[in-house]
Parts: sequence; C-alpha cells; structure tokens
Amino acid sequence: MAGRLRRNAAAWLLLGPSCLALVLLFVVPIAYVLLLSVTDPRLTLAHYQRIFTVPLYTRVLVNTFLTSLIVTTACLLIGYPVAYVMARRSGWISTLLLTIVAMSFWTGFLVRTYAWLVILGSKGPIAGAYQALGLGKAPQLLFTTFASTLGMTHILLPYMILALFAIMKKIDVNHLKAAASLGARPGAAFREVFLPLSLPGVVNGSLLVFVSCLGFFVTPVLLGTPRDMMISQLINQQIDELLAWGFAAAVAVVLLAATGVVIAVYNRFAGLDRLWG
Amino acid sequence: MLVLALLAALFLLAPILIVVPMSFSTAISFQFPPPAYWLGYYRKFFTSEEWLEPALNSLIIAVGAMALTMLLVVPAAFGYVRYRFRGKSMVNLLIMSPLIVPHVVSALAYYGFLGRAKLTGTLPGVIIAHGVLAVPVAFLVITATLKGFDRNLERAAMSAGAGPLRTFVHVTLPVLRPGMLVGALFAFLSSFNEAVVALFIAGRGAATLPKKMYESIRLESDPVIAVVSTLLVSAVVLGVLLSVFARRRPSMRLDT
Repeated sequence: MAGRLRRNAAAWLLLGPSCLALVLLFVVPIAYVLLLSVTDPRLTLAHYQRIFTVPLYTRVLVNTFLTSLIVTTACLLIGYPVAYVMARRSGWISTLLLTIVAMSFWTGFLVRTYAWLVILGSKGPIAGAYQALGLGKAPQLLFTTFASTLGMTHILLPYMILALFAIMKKIDVNHLKAAASLGARPGAAFREVFLPLSLPGVVNGSLLVFVSCLGFFVTPVLLGTPRDMMISQLINQQIDELLAWGFAAAVAVVLLAATGVVIAVYNRFAGLDRLWG
Repeated sequence: MLVLALLAALFLLAPILIVVPMSFSTAISFQFPPPAYWLGYYRKFFTSEEWLEPALNSLIIAVGAMALTMLLVVPAAFGYVRYRFRGKSMVNLLIMSPLIVPHVVSALAYYGFLGRAKLTGTLPGVIIAHGVLAVPVAFLVITATLKGFDRNLERAAMSAGAGPLRTFVHVTLPVLRPGMLVGALFAFLSSFNEAVVALFIAGRGAATLPKKMYESIRLESDPVIAVVSTLLVSAVVLGVLLSVFARRRPSMRLDT
C-alpha cells in the first residue's frame, strides 16, 4: 500500500507541473471562450439562438459540414491508391511516394495555398493552356468554392495517406497469399481481404481530415469566396470586423462541440488510443 | 492502382515545385509561366526589414515554443509511460486536448486570454500559445520512444553500482536522444508552420512568417512570397531527402 502510494506520488510529481500548466494555459482560455459565449455582453443564450435560426448562419454551418464531407471523400479517393502502392510495393516506388508525401506534409499551408493561387489565377498555367488551345477565356477558377475545396484537399491529402499507410503496412501479406491459393483472383482478394482489413485506416484518415476541415481557416479565406463561408471565417469576421466577442465565442463553441461529437462517436466505436497509437 | 498513385503523387508534388520558377520571375503579379527570369526578388527578400523581421520572429518563436513544449512533455511522458495511476485517461485527454480543439477556437481563446494578460503582439505570448499547441505531437513521439525503451539497461547500470541520476544521464538519456530530437523537431516545425493562432495574436509586434505571407497574399500580392516559399520548400526537400537517404529511416519522421 505504502509502495503504491509512493509510486503514485512519483507519477504526479512528474505529471503534475505539466498538467497544471496545461490547465492554466489551455483549459482556462478555452473555458473563458465558453463563458464569453453566454455572458457577453450580458447573461444570455441569444447568440446560440441566432446561430441556429438566422439563415445566413445556418448556411455557414451546413456549408462547412458539406465542404468537409467533400474534402474527406476526395482525400480518401485520391489517397487510397497511394497508400496502397506504398504499403504493397517495396523498393524505389514506395520510397519515392513516401518522399513526396513527406515533402508535402512538411510544406507549410501558406506555401501550398500560394501555389494554388498561381496555378488557378487568371495569369496561371490553366488559363494559359485555355488560350493556347484556342478555347478562349478560361472560366473563373480562383476565389470559388471549387478552388478552396481543391486547396484543402491538397493540403489534407498527406494526413489521409499517412493514416491509411499506417494501417495498411501492418496487413499480413499471407492473408492475400492465402486468398490467392484458395483461388481468389487479384480483384476478389483485394475486395474480400485487403479492403476490409484497411477499413480502420479509412476511418482514422477520414476522422483526421474531416475534423481538420471543420476548423479550416487560411485556405478558404485566400482561395474561396465569402459567399461560401466556413465556420472559422465567421469567427474571424465577427472578431476582426465587428468585435462581437459573445457571438464569435458562441460560434467557436458550436465548432468545438461539433468536433467533440465526431471524436466522441469515433471513441465510442474505435477508441481514441487507436487513432494516436 | 500504380497509375492512380503516381497521378496523385504528381498532384501533391507539382504545386509545391511551381513556386521555384516563380521565385526567379520578373513579373510583378502571379504569372505562370514567368515572362523572364532574374534574382531581384531574392535581393529584395534579403534586404527588406519587412520580410526579415517576421522570418527572425518565426525562428525565435519556434525555438522558444520547442523549449516550452519539451519542458512540459518530457517529465509528463516519463510519468505517463512508467506509472499506473488513477485518472490516466483523463490525463491523456488533457495532454491531447490542444490537438482535438480546432486551431481557430484555440486562436480565439488565446486572443481573449493573452489579450487580458497584455501578451498579444509579443514574442512571449506567441511562444506560450505555440508551445502548448505542440504538446500533443511531441508527447506522441516521445511516449512512443519511451515505450520501446528496454528498462533492463537501467537495471544493469544500477546493479553495476550507478546511482539513479548517473543511470539517467549516462544510460536513459543517450538511448532516448533520437526520439527526443524528433519530438523537438516536430514541435519546432509545428510552431514554424502555424498560421491561424499567429494571425489572431501575433499583431505587429511579433508577426511571424506565415502571418506575413498571409497578409502579402491577401493585401498586396508581393512577389517576394515566391522567394520565401522557395526557401521553405528547399529546406523541407533537403530535410526529407536527408532523412530518406542518409538515415534510411523515413518512417521515423512520419508515423511514429
């Protein structure tokens, strides 16, 4: 008993200061936002009522949700083959793909957003190709929902690929060999064996991308249009232009709650340890 | 699958590489392909306060944030991995919370909180925010290393007569050093690349490179941004290639 107490004391001696610092420097600020959302300018729930009843704001919520869904699907469709090849092939192709994914992963959001600004711009290569092919003037690409969705997909794709790859590389090749020896053709072996075994990766990657997308800020501002605002843009607008602390805080709480719900559902069915492990 | 994978890789890579020719372009606006090439915007970058100051701020903040993160994470990781205690999952949730909370929410929270403490627009303010936000990533890397540590090494040292401190300094730390370095690198990069919180709290006094890039895209279309992007991409390419070819341990950097 005494030994256990001493062990507990040692654990808390190591963890205590860090936990206290995290509470003071993270939990308290977040709690302050929660508090502001119902007390600024006075004790009220009106901000929340406005978010869910004013069409302008409900549209922002719906749009954020739909955009996140589209980006997640796109990342999954584009990322799955990459992770598959990385996991199943050895040698230079796998190394090459891993190198490219790592480069993309470590390149800052702003560099990549800037790159899309060039590519989609009115003096960019796509507009140039249109003219060279005699198709006339290219359609407006920049500052559209398409541009912001494309930019976010590009930025979040490495996360999806790495999440998929982490699971896929653990799939035992013998399962596939067994399927083949039992007469399964490659297509069937993939559908019946590999795909189901890779599903945890699909879930992990989708969660990661979806949640990141819900709170995305920089890219939609720079590439998108104010008409299709995301939640984070709304928060920024309320603070930056209107200094409406209470309302901005309430929107932030809604975003936090939405993220929390998605993660709680995941935790219920898969367990958070598996996402981080 | 292979063709699709290569196409996807091209989709990932091409936009990053396009910034390189852009940086040598003479065009004032974002024009591609460039009309002609020169080095003028490199000179502009290396001589203008406007860009060098945020670059320097970013470095100072990233180093400071890295130090703060390690200070918070290293003892916590030892406590977390080596002991069983009540409330462990709560502690895990607390340590991971900066990763779960969307950055824009954290940004708003710090804007309010640090604003009250008169720390917005200062280097210490941004260091605190970035240092806390990098805690989860560094924690993941360092606990993973610690879990793989063979404690028999420590027992051997102790039984050979080394005290706990000597054992820690001469056995535990050297073995864990690579993992610690990777954790620190992650923290550094997480701060160096962070834009949203910096946009909210850095103000003029502590403007970081991503904040300056954001503003130059938003407000003035300054071509120097291509130079900055190229320098950043070169650093990343160099780092990744080094880790892939020199150490032959690419997986260590990615999915620890």
